[in-house]
Amino acid sequence: MLNQDPVDPSLIQQINDLMASGFEIPPEKLVPSAALKELGLDSLDAVDMLVYIEDKFGIKVEGEKLTSLRTLQDVYNLAAEAVSKSK
Amino acid sequence: METATSTTALVTGASSGIGKAIALRLAADGFKILVHCNKGLERAEAVRQEILAAGGKAEVVQFDVADKEAIEAALNAYFDAHKDEHLDVLINNAGIHSDTLLGVMTDEAFDSVMKTNAYGAFYLMRWTVRRMLRRRRGSIVNMASLAGQTGNPGQFNYAASKAALIAMTKTLAMEIGSRGIRVNAVAPGFIETEMIQTIPGLEEFKKRIPLGRFGTAQEVAGVVSFLCSKDAAYMTGTTLSVNGGLYPA
Ligand SMILES: NC(=O)c1ccc[n+]([C@@H]2O[C@H](COP(=O)([O-])OP(=O)(O)OC[C@H]3O[C@@H](n4cnc5c(N)ncnc54)[C@H](OP(=O)(O)O)[C@@H]3O)[C@@H](O)[C@H]2O)c1
Repeated sequence: MLNQDPVDPSLIQQINDLMASGFEIPPEKLVPSAALKELGLDSLDAVDMLVYIEDKFGIKVEGEKLTSLRTLQDVYNLAAEAVSKSK
Repeated sequence: METATSTTALVTGASSGIGKAIALRLAADGFKILVHCNKGLERAEAVRQEILAAGGKAEVVQFDVADKEAIEAALNAYFDAHKDEHLDVLINNAGIHSDTLLGVMTDEAFDSVMKTNAYGAFYLMRWTVRRMLRRRRGSIVNMASLAGQTGNPGQFNYAASKAALIAMTKTLAMEIGSRGIRVNAVAPGFIETEMIQTIPGLEEFKKRIPLGRFGTAQEVAGVVSFLCSKDAAYMTGTTLSVNGGLYPA
């Protein structure tokens, strides 16, 4: 995992909303431990997702960390880290 | 055609030469054209007027392709103001050369050619792909060169930048093919534009061209048009030579 601090629930909600609408993932599958692969997301989807997060929050995500993303929690952490850095 | 009337094509370096011919051709194909220029704002505006007069759609955008911030500022501003438009086609055509033999080539000559030809295309492909991924469609064409395929004495920097474009084309085609986004390159030989006027011994080269003449900008534009069309729907990662047979590849 990239960062252990608790993530702002509203950030989690917005990411989950994107997953549900943009990638047609059933909301009940959106649990932090869910592996991206099992959600049917490949590395390009992860890029797509990071682009969305960057645009939505006006932040810059560290692209080099793309390959270390395994679970939804990793995505929340990466986004949270970028948000806190941009403050 | 990979277009309906609302799809937009950005043609870099469309203020002159091959880029201008591509802009006119893709406009005739039905794309709205972003006629890009750097220093040639008046020339770009004239290209826009020519497209409008022929019943097409066009706007002018101006930035230095070597300037990442300028690219992002200009394109973000344009697409923020035109939310119904999508960039479905990117033609990385802007390019420069600064020829001399390696032993006396300055850092500046190497950097400026790489910055404009290779980095410029990199920045623009990255900006574009980030948007095309979501739409799951799009076509990118990079203007390479015969020099990038064969090497060319006196063009150490230019040939390297164009070979880089060919490798970028292949790699990106593999990366994003699964999203239906195609990436191809065109490698012109000697095309009658201002760019080749300064080449020493130009007439000598002509004798070596099997078709016996230089190509025209329109002949390059026709190949670009094909690559952006449905007829090329199964082509990606390829480099099409447009060189009169000078280098059969
Ligand atoms: N002509 C040939 O025989 C030949 C052969 C092989 C490949 N090519 C390639 O085909 C492409 C077009 O060549 P051409 O003969 O049409 O050249 P050209 O007439 O010299 O046009 C070059 C275009 O690139 C733009 N440009 C140059 N530097 C730029 C920068 N830093 N930022 C933004 N735009 C920039 C120019 O814009 P402004 O004028 O507005 O500044 C101009 O529109 C180039 O990539 C070239 O390498 C040409």
